[in-house]
Amino acid sequence: MAVEGDPRASANRSLGDAVDDLPIFNVDNLQSNIKSIYYSRTFLSIIGGAIAGIWGFTGLTGFIFYFIVMAVASLSLAAKAKFSVHAYFDSWSRILVDGIFGGLMSFVLFWTFAYDIVHIF
Amino acid sequence: MAEDLVLDTAIRDWVLVPLSVVMVLIGVLRYFVSKLMRSHQAPDLKVVKEGQVILRARNLRAAAGFIPAKSFRARKIYYTNEENGLLHVPKGQAQNAQAQMFSDPNLAMDMMKKNLSMIIPQTLTFAWVNFFFSGFVAAKIPFPLTHRFRGMLQNGIDLSTVDVSYVSSRSWYFLNLFGLRGLFSLILGEENAMDDTQRMMQMSGFGFDPTKSLGAEKDSIDIIQHDWALPKLEKRAEDVLKKLVK
Repeated sequence: MAVEGDPRASANRSLGDAVDDLPIFNVDNLQSNIKSIYYSRTFLSIIGGAIAGIWGFTGLTGFIFYFIVMAVASLSLAAKAKFSVHAYFDSWSRILVDGIFGGLMSFVLFWTFAYDIVHIF
Repeated sequence: MAEDLVLDTAIRDWVLVPLSVVMVLIGVLRYFVSKLMRSHQAPDLKVVKEGQVILRARNLRAAAGFIPAKSFRARKIYYTNEENGLLHVPKGQAQNAQAQMFSDPNLAMDMMKKNLSMIIPQTLTFAWVNFFFSGFVAAKIPFPLTHRFRGMLQNGIDLSTVDVSYVSSRSWYFLNLFGLRGLFSLILGEENAMDDTQRMMQMSGFGFDPTKSLGAEKDSIDIIQHDWALPKLEKRAEDVLKKLVK
C-alpha cells in the first residue's frame, strides 16, 4: 500500500491531543484519511477479485477469501496508524468495517471476470 | 447438474470484454460530459448566508469549552433568541423558502439534467445489450445461487436444466453496473463515481437543507452544556511540566 503511505502519514493527527476530554477533529484531514481508506479497500477488492478468479475459488471459499483480504487490510491500516486510532479517526468502526460491503461488488465482478477468462475458456 | 460447460472462446472475446470496456468508456464519457454541462449557477445569497450561519453555530458548539461561561451564554443568546436570533426562522417563512427552491426554474433544470445524464446512458446500454447479446450463456458466476434467481439471471436461456451459475449477458451487464463503481472512483478521481443514488439523495435534500437544519442547530445549541476546559488545561500543563522536570 505504498500509494497512500505518504498522504496518510502527513495528513495529520486530528487535534485529539490538544485537549484531553474535548477531542476535536480537523475535518479536512479526517476526510482525507477516510478517503485513503476507501481507495485502498477498493483497490484491494479489485486485485483480490482477480486473484480469487485466477486461483479458481468457487462458492463460499471465494467470499471467505474476500473477508480475509479485508481483515488483512484492516490490520495493516491499524498498524499504519500505530494502533492509536483516535489520533487519526473518529472511531474504530471507520478503520475496521467501513467500506467492506462497498468493495464486495467490485470483488465479485473481477472474480467472475477472471474466473471465466481463465477457467471456462 | 454440475457438468462443466465449455463455452466458446469467441464469447469471451466478443461479449464479456467489449461489454466491460464499453461500460468503462461510457462512464468516463459521462463524467466529462457532466463536467462540461455543469451550468454555473450563481449561488443564491440567502442560501449562502444561511449556510454560513449554520457553520458559525457549529463552530460555537464544537469550541464551547474554550471560552468562558459568560461569553458562551452571550453568543448562545445571540443565536437562539426568539425575536431576532439568527437561527430562529418564523414558521411562515420556512415554508416559503422550500416552495421557492423547487419552483425555481434553474434548480429544476439542473436536477433534470443530472438525472437524465444518469439515466440515458444506462437505458441505451441496456437496450443494446438486450438486442445484441441475448439468447446465449455468457458467463459463469463462481458461486452457486438458488433456483429462484434463475428467472432473473438467465433471461434469454430457455433450458431449465442448465445450472443457475451460467448466466446471460444481461446479468453480466448488471454485475458490471455495480462493480465498476469502485473502479470509477479510483480512475476518475474523488467523488465522481457513478453513485446515482447518492447524487439523487443529495439533490432532493438540497431544498430542505436550510430551513430544517436551522431548527436543528438551534436545538443543539440549546442543549449544550458549557464545560470550560481551562481548569483541566491548567492541571494538564502541571502534569506535563512535572514529567519534564523529573
